[in-house]
Amino acid sequence: MIFASSYEPLFHIGPVPVYDHIVAQWLVIILLGTVAYLATKNMQTIPRGLQNTFEAIVEGCFNFFGGALGNEHAAKKWAPLLVTFFLFILTNNYFGLIPGAGTIHGFVPSTADWNITATLATIVFFVVIIAGGKNFLAHLFTPHWLFLPLNLLEQVARPLSLTLRLFGNIFGHEMIVAFLVLMAPFLVPMPLVALGVLTGLIQALVFTILATSYMADVVGEGH
Amino acid sequence: MEGALAIGAGLAVAVGALGGGIGQGIAGGKCFESIARQPEIADQVRTLLFITLAFIETLTIYGLLIAFMLVGKIG
Repeated sequence: MIFASSYEPLFHIGPVPVYDHIVAQWLVIILLGTVAYLATKNMQTIPRGLQNTFEAIVEGCFNFFGGALGNEHAAKKWAPLLVTFFLFILTNNYFGLIPGAGTIHGFVPSTADWNITATLATIVFFVVIIAGGKNFLAHLFTPHWLFLPLNLLEQVARPLSLTLRLFGNIFGHEMIVAFLVLMAPFLVPMPLVALGVLTGLIQALVFTILATSYMADVVGEGH
Repeated sequence: MEGALAIGAGLAVAVGALGGGIGQGIAGGKCFESIARQPEIADQVRTLLFITLAFIETLTIYGLLIAFMLVGKIG
């Protein structure tokens, strides 16, 4: 179960196998896209209903992560990406809580597959390099060039820990719920499923906060 | 061989959870202390606490993953 290759692909597109988790990701993208489209289709100066809710969520996240970046120019440029990370991971985590998840193909929390979390962590890795630019190279040589090997090791360890933290938490939660359902199908797993709401939110938040702080390291204080 | 794998899987979670539990207990206790002393910084401290707890929990989660891998080898 830990490795995607140990279970059957859902279907093939040409030579490319498509797994449950990929389909789940497509569903999340379609869901978020549709909601965003509906919320912004008929924009008004005084927002009401869905637009109001969506604006509150996006603005709250934007201010939170943008503020944590600490550099206004960089915040304008990179906060949209961070907010996207947060909403995408949160929706993915909550996909496992929908009734029928796990039994219907495609309804799985895709963050319970380490390929997907590794993808997200790799994006963070490259975005930090791009966002930092010259600052990133300078950051490698702080506080002294002797620290270069240590700094390089840190850069390699970051995506690894980001991957395993998100994957381990969501996968572990899924497995524990599955064990409990096998032992006692009714009512007993409910507190743990409720805990999943908290875990999903905290892990999405932690992933994004860590990405933000990695980025804040290299973008500097601003002008 | 399978017995050793099972013991190893149990130990991976048990020892990992032991260290992580002590660490999280200390971090949480200090957080409550600081909030009780200065309630106005509760929000900042809470955010920092969550990040810290996530860092500590990662180590326990490593143990959990190792345990899952070992259990997978038994079957």
